[in-house]
Amino acid sequence: MPEEPYNPSPIGNPSFLARRNWWQTTLVKFIGKHTPKCTEMVRILSQSMDEPMPLMMRIKKRLHFLICCWCQRYEEQLRYMRQTARHFPEHADEASDVPFSTEMRERIKRKLAETPR
Amino acid sequence: MGSGMSATDLQRASRWVDDHGECLYRYALVRVRKPEVAEDLVQETFLAAVRGYEKFGGRSSERSWLVGILKNKIVDHFRKVGRETSFTDMEFLSDEFSEKFVPMGFWNHNLGPHEWKAEPDEVVHRAEFWQVMRDCLLKLPEKIRAVFAMREMDGVPSKEVCAILSISDSNLWVMLHRARMALRECLEMNWFDTPAGGTA
Repeated sequence: MPEEPYNPSPIGNPSFLARRNWWQTTLVKFIGKHTPKCTEMVRILSQSMDEPMPLMMRIKKRLHFLICCWCQRYEEQLRYMRQTARHFPEHADEASDVPFSTEMRERIKRKLAETPR
Repeated sequence: MGSGMSATDLQRASRWVDDHGECLYRYALVRVRKPEVAEDLVQETFLAAVRGYEKFGGRSSERSWLVGILKNKIVDHFRKVGRETSFTDMEFLSDEFSEKFVPMGFWNHNLGPHEWKAEPDEVVHRAEFWQVMRDCLLKLPEKIRAVFAMREMDGVPSKEVCAILSISDSNLWVMLHRARMALRECLEMNWFDTPAGGTA
């Protein structure tokens, strides 16, 4: 098997479709040939976070995920990062110990008091 | 309204500085890096908050309301910067993640994404997670970080990000793709693959 020109599914692949028998191997090869390569898929997945993915590509993505749990995880993790990143600003005080000094605090308060409304 | 702030306004603003100043300042510092710029942004935020207090209906927490104002101030800041400097970071466009993939373009299965066990709802309550997230963000090249943060942290729609920073759609996609790839990798190595991240 290793000498084949493409191999999206080596032994031990935990994806839904792995090359566990002749039928699956044929299917994996077919899907591997007719859907984007992973390098391309990760780029498309990232872009789909910013603009809708065309229907045909959505179908190809679903098929690709059957043979590639890594791209599937990648997509889940893009959503995960979006979900958590949105909360970062409100937790920024927990994220570092950069000092917000008393002087700075007082300077800000003083400027606020001086500024006309 | 007359000039100068009323005693009540001042008292309230002073409490905001004490309760939320640290959070706002630390967030601003992740975004702009220069302490004096970050301090100015925080200052402007509190001032805008005092002026617009009537509009705060208490629908969200005080913290998220103030953070929302700061986000707008940051966007304004980048709008100015974006006009003055080129925002396309071409240096970062080289393909440094090629080792993740085999030459045929599929994931190298030993290096592909691992499963992330902890749920997003769990990690948002972990201070250590936010520390890792901050460290990972600061590892990104400055312009890439600015684009990613504006899109994913401030939630600015992609068309607007392009307009604010005067960059093309395709440049935005490339920069975001690089940022996501690098951030994912960094979070996985420093959080999800560690006992802290795996056992949350």
